[in-house]
Order: sequence, then C-alpha cells, then structure tokens
Amino acid sequence: MKHQLALTMAGAALLQGCVTSTVDEVLYQGSKAEDLVGDASIVIMGRRHASDYETEPDFIECVGKHIQRRDDNIRVMSELEFMNELYPWFEPRTAPLRPADIQRMMDVPPVRDKLASMNTEYMVWIDGETVRTGGAGSMTCGIGPGGAGCFGFGTWGNDSNYEATIWDFTDQEEVGRMSTQASGQSYMPAVVVPIPIIAPVQGTACDGLGDQLLEYFSAEY
Amino acid sequence: MGSTISANAFCAVSRAGRRLLGLVSVWAAVLLVGCTNQVEVKGQFPTPVLDKLPLKIGVYYDPEFRSHEFYDEADSREETDWIVRTGEAQVEMYNTLLPGMFEQVVMLNELPRRDRVDTVLEQDLDAVLVPHVQELQYSIPNHTKINVFEIWMRYRYELYAPDGELLAEWSMTSYGKTPTAFLRTAEAAVNLAAVVALRDAGANFAMNFTRVPEIRTWMDAREQGPMATADAASDEEETL
Repeated sequence: MKHQLALTMAGAALLQGCVTSTVDEVLYQGSKAEDLVGDASIVIMGRRHASDYETEPDFIECVGKHIQRRDDNIRVMSELEFMNELYPWFEPRTAPLRPADIQRMMDVPPVRDKLASMNTEYMVWIDGETVRTGGAGSMTCGIGPGGAGCFGFGTWGNDSNYEATIWDFTDQEEVGRMSTQASGQSYMPAVVVPIPIIAPVQGTACDGLGDQLLEYFSAEY
Repeated sequence: MGSTISANAFCAVSRAGRRLLGLVSVWAAVLLVGCTNQVEVKGQFPTPVLDKLPLKIGVYYDPEFRSHEFYDEADSREETDWIVRTGEAQVEMYNTLLPGMFEQVVMLNELPRRDRVDTVLEQDLDAVLVPHVQELQYSIPNHTKINVFEIWMRYRYELYAPDGELLAEWSMTSYGKTPTAFLRTAEAAVNLAAVVALRDAGANFAMNFTRVPEIRTWMDAREQGPMATADAASDEEETL
C-alpha cells in the first residue's frame, strides 16, 4: 500500500511541468507586522476594478489557505465574508484604491463600528492574473468498434503575475508590497491515452506570495 | 380478397405511421426542451452598512420589474436559447438594500398619481421610488469554451413626490461577470454573473443616490425647511 502511494506521488511529481518563479518584496516599516496580536485578523482581497482583467477569487482563497495552513495563529478572514459584512464598501466599483480612502469610510459611523467589531488590522490587496501565453501542436481523437483513442501532441504556456499591497488599517497607510511572477510550460502527449503534464504556475505563484506574506505576518517565520 | 389485404396493409402502415409520428413528436419535444436553458436567478444579498438617510420612502415595483426576464434566441443549431428570470432576485435585492439606506421604507401596490393621491398621502411619505430595468445585455466568451458569462444592466429610477410630481429621473448601470471558470454548469455561471450584477447595481445605487443633482437639490431644500422647498420649486418653475 505504501509502495503504491509512493509510486503514485512519484508519478504525479514526474508528470508536472517545470515552473520558474521570482518573488520581490518592499517593506516600508520594519520586516514584521507589529499589531497582529490577540483576535486581530487580516483580510486578503482581490483587485477587480480594471476593465480587462480580474484577480481570480480562487487565487485569493489559495493564498489565504496557504497562510492559515502554515500558521493557524493568524486569523485570515474570507474575502466574500468581509465584502458581505461591509457591503457596499468593498465591491469592485466602490473599493478604496488608496489607504487615504479608508478615512472616507471611517467617517460613516456604522462602517467604523463594524470595522472595530471585526478587529481587522491589516488588509492585503492582490492585483494580477494568470494568463495563457500561447499553444502549439494538434491532437486527433477517434472512436470505433474496437475502442477509442487519441494521437498527437499539444503544448501551452502560462504566466502568473501578482502584486500584493499591505495596508495597515489602524494607521491608514501602506506598509509593504510584494510581487511574484511565475511561468511554465505544460505538455499533453497522446498515444491512445492523453497524458497531461501540467505546470502548476498559479499554484507556484500562490505559494511564493503566501510564503512572503507569512514572513511578514507570522512570528514563526 | 385483394382489397381486404390492401386495406389491412394500409391500416398497418397507418398504425406504424402514427407510432412514428408520436415518437417524432416526443423526440421533438425533448429536443425543444433540451435546447432552452432556463435560469431562475437566486442569490443572497447582504444588508448594507450605511448611514441611513432621514427619509420615509415608498417603493413601487411595477409588474414588469417584478417578473423581469430576458430571452435570448439561439442563432445557430450549436447554440441554445436562454431564458434568465431576474425579477424575483432583484426585488429581493432592493428589499434588502433600501431598508438599510432609508430610515423607513414602505412597499406600495400602486404608483402615486396626481389625480389620486390619498393612498400615498395617508402614509406620510417623503417620496416614492420606482425602479425599472431599461436594458440588459449578456455575453458568452465562446472561444474559451468555459462557463464564464458577463451581464450588463441599465436601470432607470424615478423618484416621485407623494402628490405624483416627478422629482428626479436618472439611470445607472451595473455589471457582473462569473468570478470563476470552474462552475459545473452554464446555468450556475449565468446565475452567479447575475447575482454579481445585482450586487453591483445595489452598490452603485447606494453610493450615488445623493449625488444625483435633482435629489441633492431636493434634499438640500428639505434640510433648509418648507420655505426653502417652496423657493426651490418656484425657482425650478422659473427656470422651466
């Protein structure tokens, strides 16, 4: 049973395409979050105000889970829960674009009270997307009385580019920026059965950004 | 004898024909049903966190708004017809939004009219809001073959004085796109795009209501008292 599991994992590792990734970080004040104590929480939000792209909700969820898996002392509020609690202030058309805009919300007493009750200390805005960069090859599949099968070869690339901006809610200022770029090539050879060799580009970007955020927010990293 | 045989043969052919016709009809009905995607938009809409405006507002949803739906006929055999019913969901959204925006909200069964103002006046309302769906467009990115839809809506709002006089009329747009490409069905993707569009409509309405120039003027006049209201009305008449 153990051998089977090991073989499956080794097979899965072999069938992954290669990904290259780079991470950049700029912190303006110190290298650690100082106010994240007690019940204080952080919220990770995706930027969706641009007309030509939207940061994927799945990516935001991935980064949040990555942080919580590695350090369960950090309370990460889900994006949708936060948006619902503060509707309509964080919808794509109304969300603040600069830390100074937080004051505009704080001037509204119900919003101020709600934010105080939620005890959100930091907000992380993630802006970016994963795009397919092109493909090549062809594949033909057929079905007949003797069975079905495919023959051919396909390949395509993916590029991920995300930037995280950290806002301190209490001081209403930006405290740091992190960015990650990842790219990879996926392949799909088919001799009777198609064998996908997928490059986990978005997953690698998620891990890279998640690790950088952990270094800032977690006392254990 | 020969005629008997041919009569039986005719009957047998006729019976077979009727059966075939029946099967074809059932198959056609199945095909027709199968070629139309129907979505009854359902979603949960959050209560807004706002400083309530000190107004007692009546709201009237006309039958067209309550039962709003859009129908899109397929252009080719490969495409399918779509019927998307948004009426119930948008009534639910406004019923959640408006009580969070105004101090008091009263649902009305009829529009205020200058010749019959008693019903509305009895309720001592400040104004009556009537929303309409003016236009709706949607798109499917066919080339990607994934369940991501976009919905764009234009709303027209009317705000009446309790005596039926039109105080303001303005338009606002809303936009929604399926936020994920991993939904299992096209129906779920359309539903989610519609819910996002309705949330956006609510956010746009809530944030911009007091920025509509006619409403701003009306509210300023109310704040300054009845004399200012009368002055503002006479100014408007002079301008006209």
